[in-house]
Amino acid sequence: MEIGIIGVGNILLRDEGVGPKVAEILKKNYKFEPEIEIIDGGTLGLDLLVFIERFKKIIIIDVVDFQKEPGYTEVLRGEEIPPYLKTRFSMHHVGIQDLLEVAKLTGTLPEEVVVVGIQPQVVEMGLDLSETVAGKINELIKRVVDILEKWGVKCALQSHQK
Amino acid sequence: MARLVIDPVTRIEGHLRVEATVNGGKVKDAWSACTMWRGMEIVLRGKDPRDAWAYTQRACGVCTTVHSIASVRAVEDAIGAKVPENARILRNIIMANQNVQDHIIHFYHLHALDWVDVVSALKADPKKTSELAKKISPWPKNSETYFKAIQDKVKAFVESGQLGIFSNGYWGHSAYKLPPEANLMAVAHYLEALDVQREIIKIMALLGAKNPHPQTFVVGGQATPVDPESQNALNADSIAFMLKYADMALEFVEKVYIPDLLAVASFYKDWAGIGGFSNFLACGDWPDANGKMYLPGGVIRHKNLKAVEPVDHKKFKEYITRSWYSYSKGDVGLHPWEGETTPNYTGPKPPYEYLNVDGKYSWGKAIRYDDLPMEVGPLARMLVAYGLGHKDVKEVVDMVLKKLGVGPEALFSTLGRTAARGIETLLMAKKTKDYILELAANMGKGDTKIADTEKWDPKTWPKECKGVGFHEAPRGALAHFVVIKDGKIANYQMVVPSTWNLSPRDHKGQRGPVEEALVGTPVADSKLPLELLRTIHSFDPCMACGMHMIEVREE
Repeated sequence: MEIGIIGVGNILLRDEGVGPKVAEILKKNYKFEPEIEIIDGGTLGLDLLVFIERFKKIIIIDVVDFQKEPGYTEVLRGEEIPPYLKTRFSMHHVGIQDLLEVAKLTGTLPEEVVVVGIQPQVVEMGLDLSETVAGKINELIKRVVDILEKWGVKCALQSHQK
Repeated sequence: MARLVIDPVTRIEGHLRVEATVNGGKVKDAWSACTMWRGMEIVLRGKDPRDAWAYTQRACGVCTTVHSIASVRAVEDAIGAKVPENARILRNIIMANQNVQDHIIHFYHLHALDWVDVVSALKADPKKTSELAKKISPWPKNSETYFKAIQDKVKAFVESGQLGIFSNGYWGHSAYKLPPEANLMAVAHYLEALDVQREIIKIMALLGAKNPHPQTFVVGGQATPVDPESQNALNADSIAFMLKYADMALEFVEKVYIPDLLAVASFYKDWAGIGGFSNFLACGDWPDANGKMYLPGGVIRHKNLKAVEPVDHKKFKEYITRSWYSYSKGDVGLHPWEGETTPNYTGPKPPYEYLNVDGKYSWGKAIRYDDLPMEVGPLARMLVAYGLGHKDVKEVVDMVLKKLGVGPEALFSTLGRTAARGIETLLMAKKTKDYILELAANMGKGDTKIADTEKWDPKTWPKECKGVGFHEAPRGALAHFVVIKDGKIANYQMVVPSTWNLSPRDHKGQRGPVEEALVGTPVADSKLPLELLRTIHSFDPCMACGMHMIEVREE
């Protein structure tokens, strides 16, 4: 498998958990041709090295502080990414920053790294997404699917889903 | 007097912040503030206790496994489930593997650069580095060509301006004492350790069903089938696979980590007199078939190694005198089973310059044992075992003390803390192999039982019950406390290692371990307080990766 999708964030901190949630939906509801790997990266940092090094291209789904209104989504590529990781919503951002830097140092960074990010509304203890962010899940999925299709991956909703 | 602020990420709650006042080149006083758990019960109340481990493993950004283990143990304790042999041994393997990997990452990637100057390594003579490396270890990667290649690689990295993980160092600081060659050797091993850590964790990947979040735990045992003959279970091939990586880990620890530790420590012996604490607590872990712990639990008061007491968790009390919470009964100490999490933030509105350290100043509660602050972690575990005359521990500790030419009193220090972590890594790397062989032997007897299912049905549980789950996590004693009513979680409290070590002052005004350890630390340059980071990092705080100095202000 050349392409990986990693949803990162803490599912116990409401909107912070949007990355793993989107990853889970993609895994359950979509079929990809050729196959891609979808990982719930949680709040891990360096432990994800073993997961990212085998991919040529990865998409990271995460909350990002764009300094915009809650629910704002954007795609970041390559050198655009690191400055955004410097403003953090939680400790997992330290981990992701370290992960990308270490991967670069050890020559295991995938050729293409893309972040699909969303501005969160609430980051506090709890399991539910805010309404604003929950309402943007489809937009996040569309952004991921668009990138995959540009990379030549066919994305189809599974038949049992309406 | 300079007031220093060490704050990794000012924008979020959930971080660690240290403030210190410096006078005459030494730390006069220190305050550690943090947000660890703003109450797992907020998320867990009303949930099925059998699912708690899957939530708690998400609580921390670094450790997933440790919270799963403590959680299943707490629920097992509450409902009276007995973990079968295979599951006991599997957990021992997972815990030992995690311990080794975590300590290697800590030493090389979170702590080494407090002692090793990356920029100085660029000035090293690769030939002399090779001679030095050959002198201290038979590790094969020690040629002049090898060190030259490493040096070129780091040089290119530094010259590209993308220092990345090296960008927060105080390179050139006068407190760095290693010669350039030792620095280059350590940098080479820093890079090798990155590769090694992700290899040895493959044991965990196998046992955790290939997921970064292990799905292998279950209340009453483990979820992985065990059968030497089956293709779909942990079998003879899995044993061989695990042994391969256990050997790899042990070789790295014996031939790289320990020699590096001894080499680096020999230049920093003054740190055997800095950064120490006096009370220690270990809960004990790695049970054998009779329930005896390989690393024993115990409490040490006032550095008295001759009087190690057994641990009684009823003496755990959490105080909030200086923490941003309120209790329904006022300013009292509460046992975690009775624990409350009602936030009462009275601190300054962020962004702020300084905390009001005369009042409440932390999201961390002050956990105390019999009203005393306690250090937890590898040093506590090694001291408790050493005090109790543990054969394996004594052997390695005495070897390290002898090689460094210091006595046991040197252990009560920043250097002692860092050395204890290395000593423990060696012991656990050996035990990983022992446990894998023990699993093979147990499977060989035809035992395939992996979980106690008798207590799975909540109907078999008492109407109300409570339990505690202990685990010696890499960074120290971890305890989960659960109260179950009518089959659902009524209260859940986690007492994590950093809650002990980074606790704020308590109802008596006693400093927490990190606060106390920092007092008296020499500071050569208050703008570049490398020395403080050495002691803070030696405790392996959860947020070690984010601990970088960001601002210094004069009072």
